[in-house]
Amino acid sequence: MAAAAAGSLRRAGWGLWRGRAVVRWQLSPPQRPLQASAVLRRVSDEHKKEPLASSSQQQFDSHPADHQPGQEPQGPDPSYTGQGSQESEDYESEEQLQHRILTAALEFVPEHGWTAEAIAEGAKALGLSAAAAGMFQSDGSQLILHFLSQCNTKLSELLEQEQKLVQQGEAEKKPIDQFLRDAVEARLRMVIPYLERWPQALSILLMPHNIPSSLSLLSSMIDDILHYAGDQSTDINWYTRRAVLTGIYNTTELVMMQDSSPDFEDTWRFLENRIADAMKMGDTANQVQSTGEAIVQGLMGAAVTIKNLTGLNQRR
Amino acid sequence: KAVIDRIIRVDHAGEFGANRIYAGQMAVLGRSSAGPVIQQMWNQEKDHLKKFNELMVAYRVRPTILLPFWNVAGFVLGAGSALLGKKGAMACTVAVEESISDHYNSQIRTLVEGDPEKYKELLQIIKQFRDDEREHHDIGLEHDAEAAPAYSVLKTAIQLGCKAAIFLSERI
Repeated sequence: MAAAAAGSLRRAGWGLWRGRAVVRWQLSPPQRPLQASAVLRRVSDEHKKEPLASSSQQQFDSHPADHQPGQEPQGPDPSYTGQGSQESEDYESEEQLQHRILTAALEFVPEHGWTAEAIAEGAKALGLSAAAAGMFQSDGSQLILHFLSQCNTKLSELLEQEQKLVQQGEAEKKPIDQFLRDAVEARLRMVIPYLERWPQALSILLMPHNIPSSLSLLSSMIDDILHYAGDQSTDINWYTRRAVLTGIYNTTELVMMQDSSPDFEDTWRFLENRIADAMKMGDTANQVQSTGEAIVQGLMGAAVTIKNLTGLNQRR
Repeated sequence: KAVIDRIIRVDHAGEFGANRIYAGQMAVLGRSSAGPVIQQMWNQEKDHLKKFNELMVAYRVRPTILLPFWNVAGFVLGAGSALLGKKGAMACTVAVEESISDHYNSQIRTLVEGDPEKYKELLQIIKQFRDDEREHHDIGLEHDAEAAPAYSVLKTAIQLGCKAAIFLSERI
């Protein structure tokens, strides 16, 4: 019965494809954050949050195609219609289908790496044919980009929630270095379950055809963090701050991959030191500027004095 | 969203540049008879810049990376035109303000054709600023801008520069 439903779903999905353009990787699609937030909102409290993949699969337990063991037959919140089009029409868009397959595939990444095999396993776990992995590029880059995009969305929501708490007066506003440290740490922790395969992911992301997408995801994440940190610069500082934070994030990520201390203590300490350096740099820049101005004024005063002494300043 | 981004980025750059132009003019002509007029126009531009700074943060728009360049170029243009005399400075003002009001007008058209209800606040602000710039343009004409040396050459050159600046600031 699950197979028949899956078959009908697949036919519906294929039907929608005929009119569709080639797969576009949308970097800030309006649907995706909605879907991701829908995913997260539907995770009920009795389910564990980790690992990421299985928790996002929980939302599909009302969907006929899903047959995970130990699932309840009904969804946790049948009144929720975040993906109502799915439930009412039994249709889903190509993008939603891809989103589901990639999310399911994440669970198989520790075993198979960021590859087409993991995607195939993900498709199989949803009751679709393993050939569905043919929808995606063979180097697994879409899986990685999907994961990054999900992590960024999670981070945005986390920061948004924190901001609400501060606005409602239920939490203290953090000093900026603490805020940056916590945000980067939270984001990096999302990678921990996949840490063994992460070097592979990074090297795939560095391939020329992936660089625009991965850079764009990285820059929007950094922009989010700084926005919630309260950055209001509208001049060249906008760029320098983002560049500095990007540098900190990237180096900390690399350190994390070689870190073997308990709970990555060394990484967080490294992060703390880098942020402290960055803060000091800002202060130093100000000090250099004011020292420079003072020196210039001193020189001007000296020049005027000399002119007076030599009588060059007199007008007759 | 991309359209709003561009609009705010280029307007912010424009007001920033206009500020620097008036600063350059004041540096040369500050103590002359044209000083108070230029100062008053400069003050209005400062208000405009402040407003765009707020809009930039509210809409989370990236500022143009060419700002340091506009900083210097604006000041040089202002000071250079002022060195041609009071009329030169007024000619520069006329040229720049005309460019800017045309530019604001096309933005207003874009927004109205798009979704006037959604962008009501932004539309109001741009309309107000366009009226202010128009006023500056008229003040420039009143103060004998057209009698400036090589007026038409100067005006064309400056307006070409403004067009290039607008094109670049929208994108970079």
